[in-house]
Amino acid sequence: MAVNRPGALRVFARLKLRLLANRLRGSSGQVVLFLGGVAVALSFTFAGFAIFIAPAFSDPEVWTLVSGFGGTGLVVGSVLLPLLWFGVDDTLDPARFALLPVPRWRMVAGLLVAALLSVPAAGLLVATTGLLVPAAVHGGVAAAVAQAVGVVAGMLLCVTAARAVVNAFASMLRSRRMRDLAGILLAVLGAAIGPAQLMLMSTVPNAELAQLARAAEVLGWTPLAAPYTLGLEVAAGRPWAVALKLVITLATVALLLGWWARSLESAMRGAVASGGPKVREAAGTSVGQLFPRPLRGLPASPFGAMVAREVRYWWRDARRRANLITIAVLGVLVPLMVTLFAPAHPANQAGREGTVEFSLSFSGEVSPLLLWSACVFVGAFAATVMANQFGFDATSYAAHLVIPVRGETELRARAVGYAVLVVPVLLVAGAVLAGLRGQPQDMLAAWGLLLVGFSAGMAVNMPLSVLAPYALPEGSNPFATASGSGMAKSFLAFLSLLVTFVVAGPALLTAHLLPQVWPWLAVPAGVGYGVAVVALSCYITGDLLEHRRPRLLAAITPKG
Amino acid sequence: MRRRRYGLSVTDTAPALLLEGLYKRFDTKVAVDGVHLEVPAGSFYGLVGPNGAGKTTSLSMAVGLLRPDAGRAFVLGHDVWADPVAAKQRLGVLPDGVRMFDRLSGPELLAYTGLLRGMDPATVNQRADELLDVLALRDAGRTLVVDYSAGMKKKIGLACALLHAPRLLVLDEPFEAVDPVSASLIRDILTRYVAGGGTVIFSSHVMEVVERLCTHVAILADGQIKRAGTLAEVGAGRPLEEVFVEVVGGRTATGDELSWL
Repeated sequence: MAVNRPGALRVFARLKLRLLANRLRGSSGQVVLFLGGVAVALSFTFAGFAIFIAPAFSDPEVWTLVSGFGGTGLVVGSVLLPLLWFGVDDTLDPARFALLPVPRWRMVAGLLVAALLSVPAAGLLVATTGLLVPAAVHGGVAAAVAQAVGVVAGMLLCVTAARAVVNAFASMLRSRRMRDLAGILLAVLGAAIGPAQLMLMSTVPNAELAQLARAAEVLGWTPLAAPYTLGLEVAAGRPWAVALKLVITLATVALLLGWWARSLESAMRGAVASGGPKVREAAGTSVGQLFPRPLRGLPASPFGAMVAREVRYWWRDARRRANLITIAVLGVLVPLMVTLFAPAHPANQAGREGTVEFSLSFSGEVSPLLLWSACVFVGAFAATVMANQFGFDATSYAAHLVIPVRGETELRARAVGYAVLVVPVLLVAGAVLAGLRGQPQDMLAAWGLLLVGFSAGMAVNMPLSVLAPYALPEGSNPFATASGSGMAKSFLAFLSLLVTFVVAGPALLTAHLLPQVWPWLAVPAGVGYGVAVVALSCYITGDLLEHRRPRLLAAITPKG
Repeated sequence: MRRRRYGLSVTDTAPALLLEGLYKRFDTKVAVDGVHLEVPAGSFYGLVGPNGAGKTTSLSMAVGLLRPDAGRAFVLGHDVWADPVAAKQRLGVLPDGVRMFDRLSGPELLAYTGLLRGMDPATVNQRADELLDVLALRDAGRTLVVDYSAGMKKKIGLACALLHAPRLLVLDEPFEAVDPVSASLIRDILTRYVAGGGTVIFSSHVMEVVERLCTHVAILADGQIKRAGTLAEVGAGRPLEEVFVEVVGGRTATGDELSWL
């Protein structure tokens, strides 16, 4: 490959396009998922385009708002969504280029070109071209041209920011010393969305449009929205501002590229440069070492061994850890947001006199059903990770084909192993919710629904994980996904959430219809119902798993 | 009928491994095209073949990792696909190109493998200790298997395969990427295992290793067994490599190629 000659960027571009095209040559299921992903991306693109074009038919203040806040949303979303949910398309894994004589900056440029040639980047570009229309309407051709430059620079910024941040987090998670810090940072970053959004929303009903427009103008001077406000500046007759904002954008892109280049080097060196881990002396028997201290009471049986292995893996595998962190973030974030948005329960109003009521809600009365649904959602979301539980194992799963393992036992062990780590997070989420609402009995009610949501989600995801597993790319980047598998993940999660709400429906209805009784019923009912549905699901899916293991192994084996 | 004989009655005279007409196709490519192979109990069997000949696919079907499109596999008379529990209890496997549960340390991985097989914890501990000592893996302590060297990974994989004292060992490329010291240790252990009544079948590219260790050999090419039998029968007095190249059909350099090198 002529990657060390000028024009080699074309090689990266062609390689990426070839790999994208090859996605259409996989199994029919994969192709359907990929095309489904493209269809969803198209609908989001269309929605984005509609939002950005809307100011053309309104006054220029709305244009300021849309470009300022819309642009900020895009840049922030580009950074956070890959971290928290989608991952990044790591089809061109830098480690694969480690032995080729490619200068670092050419490598960065090549990977940037490859990253730009992706469905999300294309969607982003098309959606933001909507801004050209209000620019042309309010500012003429010159404004439209400036905005066109801004749109391209904006895409460059979004893609670079996503790559740089994800790679930085990936390097941190690779290093055992830094991974706890990475987790905390990610949690803080994710949790920051809530308050930021609240601040924004709280200003909407009270603030004048002009005040908001001023806030959007300020954002326009930050890298978050600078590229998307170039047309505005031309229309306002400030060509110097266009140049300045372009400099802000490109300087940010340059800084991000530099950051990316640094983490890229460590990604290319991979494990080779890690210098080998410090050897710690083993203490105790082999069986004793397998079981983490809190699980020492488990039986030394196939079931116990699998639970212990699952718990160890959720903690030691960077990819699984990243998922756990997301769940922890969301577990605290959703109750926080819903509590602050939802006004007090009318029935509880009397007992809450004197407490400070949040008046941030802009949508009027919100039913407590929303609050309980949010609990079910958090529980169910935590369980969506199980939809591809075998994908995490990749080829290691061969061990369960060589050794005769009962399918039902394996599924039960996986469920228990995951629950050991997630249930405490859910309990904290319930406590946060009750704390925010100042109602202790809400904690019990929320715990019950969180457990119901989680167990119903697990029950739904067990068969899904056996029937629709997919491979995760090998390599050390825990956020890496194959092209289109972000959509596979989203599709499966959506499906499982939908069915989970049906399965959790009886509990949700009971909580809604019997608000006085539910708090006292919630925990025993949640535990009982949860154990029953998960056990039933494992029983039903067990035989299916035993029969499908070879096919499952083939499906989760990374290709290439 | 042979199938009936081996499929229904388990006897001491049953071959350690019997493959009957194994066939596997991936899309349009036929990877394994009707492999028949009988591995006698107590033999040290080498399976040789060029890259892409179907060695890994055949062995994967033989041990239950890959479902064949047609054909059957028997381990000591037990059908791998119809009676997997009985077959897999007698079988130890070291697959190639697949990871182990490598986020566990060596002792943890052995404990996991033993308990998964339903072994008594005391036995698991005792055998794991011995295997770690013999295979010189004790010093790795609590290092995760993912951080092991290639040779150490092969050795811990072999330890997992041996832990339940199987009667048949199926090893895919056990000597690949292994340093000479580790390779010598693995050879010694396998030789002792066969001397003790066990059976080994392993795939390899290295003819010298096969000639040195094996009592039997099979040459696989284009998804079919081309030659099989004792080393003497297949070699017929000639070096195995010569027979291999003749059977597989190699290309000889004329000396004109790569003149730019």
